[in-house]
Amino acid sequence: MPLDEKSATGTMFARIWDAPVRLFHWLLVALLAFSWWSGEQHEMEWHRLSGYGILALLIFRIYWGFVGGRTARFAQFLRGPRAAFAYAKSIAKGPYAAAPGHNPIGGWSVMLMLATLAAMVVAGLFAVDVDGLESGPLADYVSFDQGRAAANIHGFVFNLLLALVALHVLAILFYLVRLRHNLIGPMIHGRRAVSGNDPVEDLRASPSKAMLGIVIAGICTYVIAQGFRL
Amino acid sequence: MNPPRAFKITHISVLSTMVAALTMAGTLAAAPAAAPSPQAAVTARQAGYKKMGGAMKALNEQLKSDAPAKDVMVGAARTLATTAREQPRLFPAGSGPTAGVHTDALPDIWTDRATFDAQMGKLIAETGKLLTITNGGDVAAIRAQAKATGATCSGCHRQFRADS
Repeated sequence: MPLDEKSATGTMFARIWDAPVRLFHWLLVALLAFSWWSGEQHEMEWHRLSGYGILALLIFRIYWGFVGGRTARFAQFLRGPRAAFAYAKSIAKGPYAAAPGHNPIGGWSVMLMLATLAAMVVAGLFAVDVDGLESGPLADYVSFDQGRAAANIHGFVFNLLLALVALHVLAILFYLVRLRHNLIGPMIHGRRAVSGNDPVEDLRASPSKAMLGIVIAGICTYVIAQGFRL
Repeated sequence: MNPPRAFKITHISVLSTMVAALTMAGTLAAAPAAAPSPQAAVTARQAGYKKMGGAMKALNEQLKSDAPAKDVMVGAARTLATTAREQPRLFPAGSGPTAGVHTDALPDIWTDRATFDAQMGKLIAETGKLLTITNGGDVAAIRAQAKATGATCSGCHRQFRADS
């Protein structure tokens, strides 16, 4: 059991979230807030740039879901409905035992949020404003009416995403208040307290693979932002 | 073979056609001759604005490209200038959000009609200027005037259109 450090009180800590996962999470929070604000203010140049940032994050996260640290991989946290039900039952019965990464329900929550985010970003790429003045980088490929439909979908999916984020925050509060388990700290510093009979495997996140992912995400985003016209 | 039933169907369809014709005649008789009905006005002005939005999109796409096609730009500018002239009469009294029809037009259009009409006048002037400049073919000048025209659109929308 690879434990990173031992605090003065003798509690042992294990890493459960790698740095790219945590950076992805908090950059996404910041860019979503900024996108909302710039959209409301009709600051469309900023809104587009912010959207490109989210697109790059999304591409990186999908890549990282295949080659990232143990807890970042889709194969690790995507479980069937039976596992999700079993987990819900174990929560109701108690005592609570923390999952070594995303739990079976949290994994579905992550996938749902990523899919919703992807739908919002793709719709935004084709969106056109009501005056035909501002548009996403791929709006040239669609008609004005289709672009307007994309803009409406973009707005609707954002509300859907807000609902999922609210659910996400409520779940975290439930863990904090009812189960007395802090999920926020580990998403900031990456570590969680563990006891001796709670084995947590090493993350094995590769910095060079992370670098490669950043390059891939950057290139893909640039090409899309140019409307595939290079 | 079932002749009585066939006859019945024909009978009903003749009857319903007659009823429909009578209803239509009644509607036509009741409708005022000149001003469009609120719903017709909303439908017509929305169609007009969509045409203008599409033209503006087409124009901006050309201005973004490395080699703007003049004929496309002139076509778009003509659509903008022509359609702009048709829009003012499509806001008759009663065609606001109170009419029970779906519209993003704000009530201020009818309570502050002078300002609205001035904005409409500005739209006609700017789109007319845009057509003239586009015919001239100077891309930098077209770009500047397209921006000015767009500012007229969004300026009026901020004031008189519900932000959705």
